Amino acid sequence: MNTALYKQMIKAQAKTIISYSVGSALYIALIAAIYPSLADSKAINHYLQQLPSEILKAFNITGMGNLLEFIAGEYYGLLFILIGSIYCTTAANQLMARPIDRGWMACLLATPNSRRTIAFTQALVLLTGLAAIVILTTAAGFAADAWFVADDALDAERFLIMNAVGFLLFFAISGYSFFFCAMANDEKRALSLSGGATVLFYSLDLIGKLAEKAEWLRYGSIFAAFEPGNIAQGQAEWLPVSRLLFTIGVLGYTAGIGLFAKRDLSL
Amino acid sequence: MIELQRLTKVFPNGRGIFAVTLAVREGEVFGFLGPNGAGKSTTIRHLLGFLKPTKGRAVIKGFDCWQESAKVQASIGYLPGEIAFPNGMTGMELLDLLSGMRRMNSTRYRDELIERLQLDVHLPIRKMSKGTKQKVGLVAALMHDPEVIILDEPTSGLDPLMQQTFIDLIREEKQKGKTIFLSSHIFPEIERTCDRVAIMKDGRLIAVNDVHELQSMQRKLFDIMLSREEDVAKLLASPLEVVHHAGRRICIAVQGNYDAFIRELAQYQVQSIDLRTQSLEDIFLHYYDRRRDER
Repeated sequence: MNTALYKQMIKAQAKTIISYSVGSALYIALIAAIYPSLADSKAINHYLQQLPSEILKAFNITGMGNLLEFIAGEYYGLLFILIGSIYCTTAANQLMARPIDRGWMACLLATPNSRRTIAFTQALVLLTGLAAIVILTTAAGFAADAWFVADDALDAERFLIMNAVGFLLFFAISGYSFFFCAMANDEKRALSLSGGATVLFYSLDLIGKLAEKAEWLRYGSIFAAFEPGNIAQGQAEWLPVSRLLFTIGVLGYTAGIGLFAKRDLSL
Repeated sequence: MIELQRLTKVFPNGRGIFAVTLAVREGEVFGFLGPNGAGKSTTIRHLLGFLKPTKGRAVIKGFDCWQESAKVQASIGYLPGEIAFPNGMTGMELLDLLSGMRRMNSTRYRDELIERLQLDVHLPIRKMSKGTKQKVGLVAALMHDPEVIILDEPTSGLDPLMQQTFIDLIREEKQKGKTIFLSSHIFPEIERTCDRVAIMKDGRLIAVNDVHELQSMQRKLFDIMLSREEDVAKLLASPLEVVHHAGRRICIAVQGNYDAFIRELAQYQVQSIDLRTQSLEDIFLHYYDRRRDER
């Protein structure tokens, strides 16, 4: 790693990282804050029971039994995934594809640092941002639980697992995004590859959940590995999928750095 | 100091550079001359380790430019032809970043350069003019006092005053014993600074010459405007090579015989003399083409 580059890139990314983190933290706090007023409402529970099970499954809603299930359904089921995925694809793009496309990668390479060191540093910046977003969200979840919800304590272990698996999901997404961005000459092409793959994975997962016959489609999707609702109920086999997500991420980053070190750059 | 050994790069479209072999000695200012698209930048990208040679290799200070590019980078300073800097930074932030990435201990020479170039380093890069960016690039290329300096079309887009400052700096670096590799598509730019010049065309090295040799080979065209109509016939009859003429305006080609040219002109009343700007092809390439035809 090159410290000077790391510091500068963190500084350049700071605004983005802070807005994603704060946005995510505020949203989870909001969800936790409205939970007490809804928990006792029989009408809502009744309404949820009437919805088709596929819809509930599609948005990872398992129930409203406790705060964790509520958060899992209302935040981790959709918005959290969305925020994280967008951060992964855009940040990978800004850190790798943009310098190559705009030509200022030449500035960085014209220093006595190997391409591996530079790509590795950029990857670390990306992961630092990702960690900041997830950690802040987790902290906000605990804080909101302590402040707004009197009796219904958050299941700390399951909540932490949910965030850890969520982080690994983003690690995997950022891994293949990083690979595409290290490979492409063109910023837009890189973004369409990583964004396209992410949208495709999400669609496969969604269709698989909505249509019983198409459930096998979910096996082709990275998003099937993250089931916040089931984690909240303690039913998820989270360890094997975590290993899988971790492997995908490591492969993506390793291949991206390796490819970047060996390719021709027209800078 | 710099060595190219049959350096070849073939791009998918069939263009590229082919078996370029040359050696630049320590302390030499070496010019790399060629029209646009001749392969100058491609060659330089190999020196920096941005491109992997298809065949052959580039070596600086004994290190392979592709395999050991980080080691090579430690002793070179590079000014790209088209400067691109990250947006959202000021000039100073960028220079700090690059000093940091080079693990430089002292910023004394850097500050001295900033002072000399009268560079406003606190300006955001996106608000800088091309000339100012060029100055930032120049500081970045020289601040670590590198042994080898590589400059890709360094004065293109600079005003004449800035070009002069630039040339002075290059001469100073030369006096410090630096090895300088400079590419250009304009001969006068190279003429003033270089010891030896390589000429490149269509990806191939055509010649490597002493700059004085090239100067004597150079054919210059002068547009002469005579005051008196009756002098025209006399000048046309003189031994000078008349390229064409129209009315009192006569175009004369001079190659080395400046003295004869001046003596002849001294006999007439001359209203004006203009040096015609010529393309590189006009100056040299016809010379090489002709020589090849003679063989």
